[in-house]
Parts: sequence; structure tokens; C-alpha cells
Amino acid sequence: MNCSALRDHYELYALGLAEEPERDEIRVHLDRGCEVCMSEMRRARELLTLVGGSSDAQAPPSSKLRRRILASVGAEQRGWGWTPLLAGSTLMFLAAAVYFGGRESDFSREVVRLTAQSRAQIIDLTRLNEAFQLMNGADTTVTSFGQDKPKPRGKLFYSPSMGALLIASNLPPAPSGKAYELWYIPKAKGASPVRGGMFQSQNDGTAMRILRGPIDANTTAAIAVTLEIDSGVDAPTSTPVIVAPLAAAPQ
Amino acid sequence: MFLLPILLALRTTEADAALILRLQRREPQALAELYDRYGRVAYALILRVVRDTGIAEDLVQETFLRVWNRAQGFDVQKGAVGPWLLAVARNRAIDYIRSAGGRERNTVEFEETDHPALYTDMEPGILASDKVRVVKAAIEKLSRQQRQVIELAYFEGLSQTEMAARMGQPLGTVKTWVRAALKALRDELGAQAVSA
Repeated sequence: MNCSALRDHYELYALGLAEEPERDEIRVHLDRGCEVCMSEMRRARELLTLVGGSSDAQAPPSSKLRRRILASVGAEQRGWGWTPLLAGSTLMFLAAAVYFGGRESDFSREVVRLTAQSRAQIIDLTRLNEAFQLMNGADTTVTSFGQDKPKPRGKLFYSPSMGALLIASNLPPAPSGKAYELWYIPKAKGASPVRGGMFQSQNDGTAMRILRGPIDANTTAAIAVTLEIDSGVDAPTSTPVIVAPLAAAPQ
Repeated sequence: MFLLPILLALRTTEADAALILRLQRREPQALAELYDRYGRVAYALILRVVRDTGIAEDLVQETFLRVWNRAQGFDVQKGAVGPWLLAVARNRAIDYIRSAGGRERNTVEFEETDHPALYTDMEPGILASDKVRVVKAAIEKLSRQQRQVIELAYFEGLSQTEMAARMGQPLGTVKTWVRAALKALRDELGAQAVSA
């Protein structure tokens, strides 16, 4: 197959969507250093880079993220919590996969799968650890919401010093192109709600979301959730599906 | 005036090359500068995939750590760090939603897509160029189905068979939409390059 016959397949290849026989043909051309195919693949990757670069986020990541990244390479001190334990578990998984696996191709597939699974578990367990800390905080109070409605319902754990933890059930997965957005509802009349981030509920309708950092109950009345477009909006555009009032700890 | 984009591109190339050299020397400040340059675009891409700001931030952190740990394999003279970082970000995000959804992934193709050696000799400063706007406008011009298949393929990492199942359409129809969409984007970008 010559290069011109592959013209429509370079982007598919770069996306992992190319099929046989074109996929093998492109591989063969690239392996033998075909300049046309190498150039076309660069162009295809540039196009996909631009597709990725065209994503818009209404709000930037939190200012803490930069610090977290630098701390993780040793530029700043930071508590590691569960990470060493979980990293150890990951290594054990990988070692077990290598030891017990079958053929070489099975090894690599299994290692990749376990690595991805462990990575997701590390993220989930780190969040659970944070959630437990917040639930057990000395100044944490709990309020329930949605008890008189069929859905959604749940609890808001609020710690003035650490933040808030929202746990909800009966919250249906957001439709395609939509996501749930959290809001801090101010006490002052006429003041605008402040964005608290986007999240998704699980397929079973449950959701857990942590709002990190101090929240002042003197100025914030409640935490609310609305359904919005998945890139987020600057102000709520729909009726809240959850409104959970903040309850200050008794003095 | 026409020299400005060339000068900017040269400046970006030199700055990226210097940055990678410093990453290879394990200078944390270089990682900070890399984050300042590409953190927001990586976050926007990951957020588009996972649609959860907390998880998106965790995955941005993973992305930058992976780049930090794999910088030694990067070609300082020819490499394009922005496109590579974005490929890593996309793979991390799709890995996450696939794991969370219990879906198997297309391992071979996927691992290949964020190898640093693939991101050489690309246009310098491409993520800061006008081409981003051109492609964004081109995506807007696609038909609803074409836009949807591009989003499912790029932002969710679905195979054409998975797309067909998700959209409730015949596989052949989905393949036609994918090819037409990619061709339209390629043509728009080509037309822009000719007119520039």
C-alpha cells in the first residue's frame, strides 16, 4: 500500500481507531522510516493536540494545585497520608502480575490494567481519607437534606476549619454534556453564589464531594448543587437539586 | 509584522528546550514554570474528560509527575513539550474514566500515544498559536453527529464499535462520521496554513 492510500488513516491511527490492514501498513511505513508517513503522523498528532488544546475551562484550577505538584517532587514539605502505603500496594500488584502472569503480552496488558486500576484507587482512597478526616473533625457538624423528597437526599458534614463534605444519594447521573456544579450560597441578600466546582454522580446515583479549605458560616448560608453544562457556568442557571444549610458547631 | 509569529515560535522553542534541560537536571523550579505554561490547558482538557474538578486536579498532578519522571527520555532539541504533556494528560484522564467505569482499554495504541519520542519536530508553540482557535471554530462547524464522534473518540477514548453502541447507530455510519469529521478538521487547518 502506498502512502497516498493511507492519507485518510493517519488521524485514525493517532487516535487509536485505525483498523487492519491500514494500521499495520502505517506501522510498517513508520518502522522503515518512511518520511511521508512520519511527516503525516506529525501533522495528525498536531491536529489532535489542537483538538485537546481547544478545551475551555470556565475557572482555573485552585491555587493550591501548583503547591501540591511542587510538594510532590520535594520542592515543598507536604503530608503524604496514604500515598506510601498505596504506592507499596501498587508495586505488590505489579510484582504479583509479573510473577503469576502467562505470556509476555499478557504480562504487559495485565500490568497496564493493574497500574490504571491502582492509580484510580490511589485517587479514590486519598479522597476517602480526606473525607474521614473531615467527618471526624472536632468542630464538624452534620445536616441532612432532601429527607422530605424522593430525590436526591444526603448529608453535609461541615467543619469551619477544614471545609465541607457532601454525600448524596438518588442523584441521577448527569446527561451527556452536563455536570453537577456546587455553589456557596452567601448569607447577604443580593450577593451572588460562588462557584465550588463540578462533579459527577456514580451510576448508582451516589456522589461524594469535598470542599477543601475553611468556610465561614457567618457569611455562607448553604451549599447548593445545580445541573449545568459540563464546562461550568459563572452563575446558576437552573433550580438547585440540593440545598444543604451550614450548621455551626455549638459553642 | 509578519516576522512576529516566527520570532515568537523561536522564542517558545528555545524556552521549552531550556525548560526540558532543567527538568532533566531535576530542578523543581522548572516544573513550576512548566505548570505555569501548560497547567491551565492540561486542567481544561482533563476536566472536559472527567467532569469533576477535584478528580481533574488530582489527574493534573499525576500528569506533571509523569512528565517530571519521564523527562530524561525527551529530545531537548527536537521535542515539543506542550503536545507531549497534553497527550499524557489525555491518557491519564481516559485511564481514570475507563477504570472507574470498569471498561477495558485499548492498551497498545494508548500506551504508544504518550511516548515522548512521538512528539518531535512538531510546530513549536502550537498550543499558543492561532491554530487552536481555527480548530475550535472548525469543530463548531461540524454536524452534531460529527462533533459527537470526535468528542467520544478524543475525550472519552471510545473505539468506533463503542461509539456505535453508545449512539445507537450502525458501525458503518459511525465510521463515515468519524472520517468526515477528521477530514473536515484537516482541511480547515490546511486552508488556514495556506492563507497564513
